[in-house]
Amino acid sequence: MLLSASMLTAACSGSDDGTEEEHFSSSGQGVFILNEGNFNSGNATLSYYDPEKKHVENGVFQRANGRKLGDTGQSIIIKNGIAYIAVENSGIIWGIDAETFRVKGQVTTLGTQIINPRYVHFVSDTKAYVTDLYSPYVNIINPKTFMWTGAIATQQEESRGYCSTEEMVQVGRYVYTNCWSYSNKLLVIDTETDQMVREITLSSWQPKSMKADKNGKLWVITDGGYSMEDESFSDNIPHLYRIDAETGAVEMDQALDSDEANVQIEMNATKDVLYIINNDIYKMSITATHLPVRPFIEAPKDANGRRHKLYGIGVNPRNGDVYVGDAVDYSQAGVVYRYDANGTLIDQFRVGINPNHFAFK
Amino acid sequence: MRWLSLLLGSMLSLPMLGQEVVHLDDVQVVAHRRLKDVGVEMTKLDTLVLHENISLSMADILSKNSTVFVKSYGRATESLVEFRGTSPSHTQVTWNGMRINSPMLGTLDFSTIPAYFIDEANLYHGASSLNLLGGGLGGAVEMVNKPIEKNGLGLQLVQGIGSFNTYDDFLRLTYKNQRLSSSTRVVYSTSDNDYKYTNRDKKTDVYDEAGNWASSYHPEERNKSGYFDDVHLLQEVYYYADNGNKLGASVWWSHMKRGLPFLSVDYKDDSDFKNEQRNNTLRSVLSWDAIGEKTKWAMKAGYTYADIGYEYFTTRQEMKNSVTSSRSYSNTAFFQANADWMLSPQWLLMGGLETYYTHVNSHDRSPFHIGKNFDKGRPEYHANVQARWRPVEVFSLAAVVREEIYKEDWVAPIPALFADVILWKPWNVVLKASVARNYRYPTMDDLYFQPGGNPDLQPEKGFTYDMGVEWAVKKKQWTLKGNITAFDSHIKDWILWTPNTKGFWEPSNVKKVHNYGLECSMDASWLLTKNLKVSLAGNFAWTPSKNIGEDINSNDASYGKQLCYVPKTSANLNARIQWRTWTLLYQWNHYSERYTTTSNEVNYITGRLKPYYMTDLSLEKTFRWHKTNWAVKGVVNNLFSTEYVTVLSRPMPRRNYEIYLTLKL
Repeated sequence: MLLSASMLTAACSGSDDGTEEEHFSSSGQGVFILNEGNFNSGNATLSYYDPEKKHVENGVFQRANGRKLGDTGQSIIIKNGIAYIAVENSGIIWGIDAETFRVKGQVTTLGTQIINPRYVHFVSDTKAYVTDLYSPYVNIINPKTFMWTGAIATQQEESRGYCSTEEMVQVGRYVYTNCWSYSNKLLVIDTETDQMVREITLSSWQPKSMKADKNGKLWVITDGGYSMEDESFSDNIPHLYRIDAETGAVEMDQALDSDEANVQIEMNATKDVLYIINNDIYKMSITATHLPVRPFIEAPKDANGRRHKLYGIGVNPRNGDVYVGDAVDYSQAGVVYRYDANGTLIDQFRVGINPNHFAFK
Repeated sequence: MRWLSLLLGSMLSLPMLGQEVVHLDDVQVVAHRRLKDVGVEMTKLDTLVLHENISLSMADILSKNSTVFVKSYGRATESLVEFRGTSPSHTQVTWNGMRINSPMLGTLDFSTIPAYFIDEANLYHGASSLNLLGGGLGGAVEMVNKPIEKNGLGLQLVQGIGSFNTYDDFLRLTYKNQRLSSSTRVVYSTSDNDYKYTNRDKKTDVYDEAGNWASSYHPEERNKSGYFDDVHLLQEVYYYADNGNKLGASVWWSHMKRGLPFLSVDYKDDSDFKNEQRNNTLRSVLSWDAIGEKTKWAMKAGYTYADIGYEYFTTRQEMKNSVTSSRSYSNTAFFQANADWMLSPQWLLMGGLETYYTHVNSHDRSPFHIGKNFDKGRPEYHANVQARWRPVEVFSLAAVVREEIYKEDWVAPIPALFADVILWKPWNVVLKASVARNYRYPTMDDLYFQPGGNPDLQPEKGFTYDMGVEWAVKKKQWTLKGNITAFDSHIKDWILWTPNTKGFWEPSNVKKVHNYGLECSMDASWLLTKNLKVSLAGNFAWTPSKNIGEDINSNDASYGKQLCYVPKTSANLNARIQWRTWTLLYQWNHYSERYTTTSNEVNYITGRLKPYYMTDLSLEKTFRWHKTNWAVKGVVNNLFSTEYVTVLSRPMPRRNYEIYLTLKL
């Protein structure tokens, strides 16, 4: 649990052009915060926060590696001491050492196999799936060698030209992924055959976030598409579902009242409590039949009553601390709020532009 | 006849006040103070500057010869112009009297305007733009074609060859007699534009035989997908009738195919992806001018068609994966009528009516939206009255009032006052001042674009004060002119697009901005010997541009901070040495650092772009051969091979070369 100033000594580490790369050593149980940056600006960054010392270091990827993280950071996940970061518009998945932040390897687009990587899911130590915003395939990589090893056709009819795949959860031998863009499907992939075996159709469109609980139930939230003056795609009403993963039966379907929700689901370590961003933060037991009326944490408001824009959420699996990202105006360093498991604010700190994803060591 | 000469002096750029050339010992002072220019802060770019070489766009010319900031996304890539720290949509642009800003975005991509197609460009700073049109909260750029002056047939042919497989061809055919004048210009420019650069945003790791990391280096990469293929055709015809009547027609057609360069942090291979924009544009203006004894009448009618297609896709196993694509078609009809009346030598009255009708059909395809963005028409009606008064020779006043109607919305009247005072006549030292209120009505994208467009937007409102001094003196051996202007401007209800939680962007009237600063320019030339002339021209601008709007929330750290991508200082210098048939031109320009975040984070890794200094050098030799005029010119751009960007992750080319051969008959 150390990230001291002495470990941030700057030194030239083998670079032939004099670029300094800092040496980090963060052996504790800190939190990575992925800052998405602005699309087409190449200003995604990575922050690292030490919860014990309440100390944050920003821009650690570039400082440790002398190169930029890329354009539009989408997700980060840690496995076997390596943090895998999908940077979608750069078409790259970085693997960095979670202690030194040094690059261990990367998976690039390899032609057109991976176009815009969104999420990484580990099936085993040597097999991971990668979803994609534009590709009609879920790609397979070896996270140890950083090599592309195959692809799973999603077998979706192109819905209005797109076949995106998003988050992934695993229940038994099956991986489930939600198709967000112009779709109402969840796809089921058999991890033994690497084939898409079936699909689950929802009554609402554009499933945006999905988690699995300890009982093998899928919790899915949709954004409901969009509705405009001349054009609409569905009714713009988000829904929250509980679905039995094995049978695909929808056990709960609740229409939510906000059409401007940044819908996102997180789950605690024991997988029995959901956290949902729907303007505010809601906390919900997996046994509940509907979303609570009152939020667990209200989005901070300023003196004029204007609500801060919550952009991302993470829950520390060790102690239940809730981390929430505030995008402010989307063009300046965002703010992360850290709450304890009871929803009491513990700390807040500046990170990078548009903090959207968290990974806990 | 005195009336006529005064009128012509006022309206045709002939010397007005002190029309005569004054001889003061060895000093010649030519007073050029038109009533029309009372209190106006203007930068004039003439043919010598505009036709420097065929490969230059108006974006290149403006960055090297004026105080405006050109925000360029790369060579031959979108380049937007900002006056005094405002936004590109606050720069109004006219061509032969017709506004040519995009009706959707409100901006104009100056990289699409070949400078060889423009014969005169006038930059109206701040309030001065109201002499031309409304809505230019930063200023206005007036681009004009002028009839040729030489009778008979003429031909000009330029062939340019440059680095990165760049070819530029220019042909101009002209004919003029007493009644008729015709000019046909064609430009074709093509380039792979795949310049190499050291990618400071990436690193390549080197591993030893045991697979351990050994070292790393920034790779040499090339500008991916930066190709362009542009063709332009401009036809002008002028007919000089009796009684001071002139008829004119100008038609400009262009087709552009441009790859959109990949970011320096993009790891995709451009051979697998197509990221391309194709534009077709037709602009046409018919004009009639009649100059009477005390009056001048002018009418113009115009039409603009533009289609813009954008496509970004890849193919895999022969299956096309569309990433994003869009198409837009716009048609604009334009009519303008102006009248000037020289009431007396002290009074000039002017008035004008103008109308535009624009129809836009836009649709796109992306993960966020598929289908129609909007399909709407919008009429605009503008009217202006102007009164200019010179009660005594050393003092002039002018008042301008504009009124604009967009569909059924009446924008509040736009008033402006201008004054100037001659402080010292021998050097034409003039004190100028102006104050104006200005509005910019939202663009059609701002109002109608789906998703996101906001029909409840209010016009942006600006209030500007300018005060400055200018001088101009001409002696036998040297000339000197220049100006210094201080300005103070407030813009509120600034329209800003920000992302919402659904992933698309929405505009709202959120920002309040305070711009202030100084603009200076100096132009001097010396005739050192009969065969040797040295000219020096320079510009400097100091333009703090601060956000003073209400905080978005308590975490907002942008109050009082410089706007993104607006340099606080910019400067340029052009030194020209002409010796016999040789011309050496040295051009230098500089932009100070620019912030990329609204909070001006200095510790943020990508929070600021370094200041840069750019130097270009050219040498030209003209000669006659078999009764024909020839010129050979060599150009070195970015002489010191500076690595620089004007926008994050958009590397610009290092040192590169061009050579031009010109034939003139």
